[in-house]
Amino acid sequence: MTQINPNNAAGALRELISFRIGAQEFCVDIMAVREIRGWTAATALPQSPSFVRGVINLRGAVLPIVDLAARLGFEGSETTERSVIIVAQIGEQVVGLLVDAVSDILTVTDDVIQPTPDVASDTAKTFVRGLLAIDGRMISLIGLERVLPDLDLEAA
Amino acid sequence: MDPLAAIRDTFFQECEEQLAELESGLLAMEAGDTDSETINAVFRAVHSIKGGAGAFSLDALVRFAHVFETALDEMRSGRLAPSQDALKVMLRASDVLADHVRAARDDGAVDEAHTAALAEELKALGPDGGADADEGSEDDWGDFEFKPMSVDAPDEPAPMVGGGWRVAFKPRADLYAKANETALLLRELGRLGAIEVECDASALPSLADIDPEAAYLAWTVTLTSDADETSVREVFEFVDGDCELEITGLQTDVGGGAGPDAGDAPEQVPGGDLDISALLARAQAAADSRPSSPAEAIPEPVPAEPVAAAPAIASAPVATATAAEPASPDGQGQPRKSEAGATIRVDLERVDRLIDLVGELVINQAMLSQRVMEAGFARASGVAMGLDELEQLTREIQDSVMAIRAQPVKSVFQRMPRLVREVGAMTGKPVRLVTEGEGTEVDKTVIERLADPLTHMIRNAIDHGLESPEKRAAAGKAAEGVVRLSAAHRSGRIVIEVADDGGGINRERVKSIAVERGLIAADAPLSDEEIDNLIFMPGFSTASEVSDISGRGVGMDVVKRSIQALGGRIAISSRPGKGSTFTMSLPLTLAVLDGMVVSVAGQTLVAPITAIVESLQPKASDVHSLGGHSRVIMIRDTYIPLIDVGMALNYRATPMDATQGVALLIEGEGGARAALLVDAIQGQRQVVIKSLEANYRQVPGVAAATILGDGRVALILDIDTIVAVSRGADSVRAEKRLAAAG
Repeated sequence: MTQINPNNAAGALRELISFRIGAQEFCVDIMAVREIRGWTAATALPQSPSFVRGVINLRGAVLPIVDLAARLGFEGSETTERSVIIVAQIGEQVVGLLVDAVSDILTVTDDVIQPTPDVASDTAKTFVRGLLAIDGRMISLIGLERVLPDLDLEAA
Repeated sequence: MDPLAAIRDTFFQECEEQLAELESGLLAMEAGDTDSETINAVFRAVHSIKGGAGAFSLDALVRFAHVFETALDEMRSGRLAPSQDALKVMLRASDVLADHVRAARDDGAVDEAHTAALAEELKALGPDGGADADEGSEDDWGDFEFKPMSVDAPDEPAPMVGGGWRVAFKPRADLYAKANETALLLRELGRLGAIEVECDASALPSLADIDPEAAYLAWTVTLTSDADETSVREVFEFVDGDCELEITGLQTDVGGGAGPDAGDAPEQVPGGDLDISALLARAQAAADSRPSSPAEAIPEPVPAEPVAAAPAIASAPVATATAAEPASPDGQGQPRKSEAGATIRVDLERVDRLIDLVGELVINQAMLSQRVMEAGFARASGVAMGLDELEQLTREIQDSVMAIRAQPVKSVFQRMPRLVREVGAMTGKPVRLVTEGEGTEVDKTVIERLADPLTHMIRNAIDHGLESPEKRAAAGKAAEGVVRLSAAHRSGRIVIEVADDGGGINRERVKSIAVERGLIAADAPLSDEEIDNLIFMPGFSTASEVSDISGRGVGMDVVKRSIQALGGRIAISSRPGKGSTFTMSLPLTLAVLDGMVVSVAGQTLVAPITAIVESLQPKASDVHSLGGHSRVIMIRDTYIPLIDVGMALNYRATPMDATQGVALLIEGEGGARAALLVDAIQGQRQVVIKSLEANYRQVPGVAAATILGDGRVALILDIDTIVAVSRGADSVRAEKRLAAAG
């Protein structure tokens, strides 16, 4: 286990949780993750974007489930018994992110994270905060601020 | 929040309580309850506000409170009779005081001229127009070391100076070690009245022997004040246990007229017995000089005695009487005090968290029961019986927790007297407000959201309901109109009524206005009740000219909507010449809801029962298509729009066969009716309301969510939105017309 030294000259160490959607790997800051739980069937919400799977009961709180694959512009996930919900804190709200599997906890310094190359995709601009190359795999660092549907955009 | 702001907040919270106390006290006095306890409570309220305001340097507030307090003191001491006129001035003064408090809180401004005028009125109440005695204390209001308040009757030959206390106080070293300070305590005592302080330095060793951390000094304070022992003890609250403290009542100097206040002392003071026996001894000595025996002398009311003997003799009966029967005027005050001591201030968030947790417990318990049943345990098995007990306990916990949030409706009722005074003055109609059932408890949120509709209805009752004094006279009624506001619990709900004794609803006019505004057809055959209910329709306002008071473009439809938003219903009954009564029935809490659990396109949904009038199985012959997906259903000769809930919520793309489902006849906003078509009814259940917005956002057609016994989330339907959305903006009016005409 790597020791975290906040005074490290190369930049503070960050811990990231990496997960898989289809063949691709993504990660989010571990500080945003409250817990990880198995998939339970969600109650569908009317008048909601297709990437909102519905709501589930998280110990008495009503938790919206965002299908991260659909949100990122891929084919929506097929939920299996091995699907996982990452419960994340986004601002004041708590949201469940449906992903295929959680793979790893990465400890990296900021300088390992490469800036997102200029690509045309809006989704990349909206969600991808940077790229990491770990053991030859590309892992995209996701920012969660915009994961929930934007009220203003919906209204337009 | 910085500590000072927090203290300030607390001060203003307490001010609100004091203001409420003040107003209810004054109203009680107006109603004839002028006993000393009530007057004292009123006085204390103003006094506490003044004291606190001084600490925050709220000068304007202190100044007005002081004038008010002075006038109240006159009344308290009996120099000013609690006449209706005087009390009316005081009630208005309490309004101004409330304005001052709010202005100080929100950094707002107050009406200086109005304040000055009332201050003058208050001063004028005092003897000789408030000229002499008050002036002195008025000048030194700044250092609120106000004069000792004597409670002697005005025509007494003034034996001078009410009760007082001897406080013997010897700090231990611990007191100083905890950073307490004698000087501060003494200063605090000084606030209660005039003090004489003696320091006993006899224990002080020679300089060489002094332990710098030890305590050697003791003080004896003679406090001349009518403060009760509790207030004196409160000064030492934080040093309790770190000092030797002895508080003894001073009775010997008290004149006979000082009864009620001085009577505090003997029954509360630990050393009181001693004191009383001393007094008795003296009384006996005095009595012995007369031929009668002491036993007779004591209970006898003592008539005019030689001046020298009077104080001693007179005080003895007072002391014994109070000790013997605690139900004296002071005895009445005591339960109130102990009540105050038994309450705590709790952050609302903590209570809500607790309620949430209990809600989860209820759900969990239901899930557990369901699983146990599924596992095939026999009903009589130990497990099942244990679960039954658990269920009962859970229910009890839920009820008790809900009771924490419950508050008496008093807090909203007591805002109304002022409103009535103001609206009465504005309309030139003398009005008396009668309130009943102020102690009826209901959830705090319900109370908060009741204020607006109630305000509106009371305004309406005075402005539209009551006739002008001339008309009342012509009708042989008392000039003063009566508005009655009452609350009561009825079958698990709270029922609130606003009634006036005015002219009742003018049905002819209501009908002609409704026709004029196109709300109903001119020839619509309406019953009296239906006409009365027209006033709840949007766009209806009976005031022929828009008045300042109630005609602000919003009408009873807004009231009805806010009551419905609380899960309540409102009804009106009116008798010509006798007046109108609005009756509201509301749920006791917003945390749970009585719901009809239904299935729609494979989903489980909950419809609020309050909105459902009836449910029925549609017959093919009653359902007609109006083109597109619009359908109507005929219920008792009236066509009512039939809304397919599955379609409205996009759960399915094609309408379901109406005969395969169940129609819920509902009454929504503005009294409009519609029928909701669902697949099946699963049953009725009380559900715990969970917010969707907390973690997501509002969803059109969904009011909130809940968690069912199987642990899954079910959505609670927002019936008004579903109805409105299914209609589309254009058709709304036409259908309302149709519904109302039906």
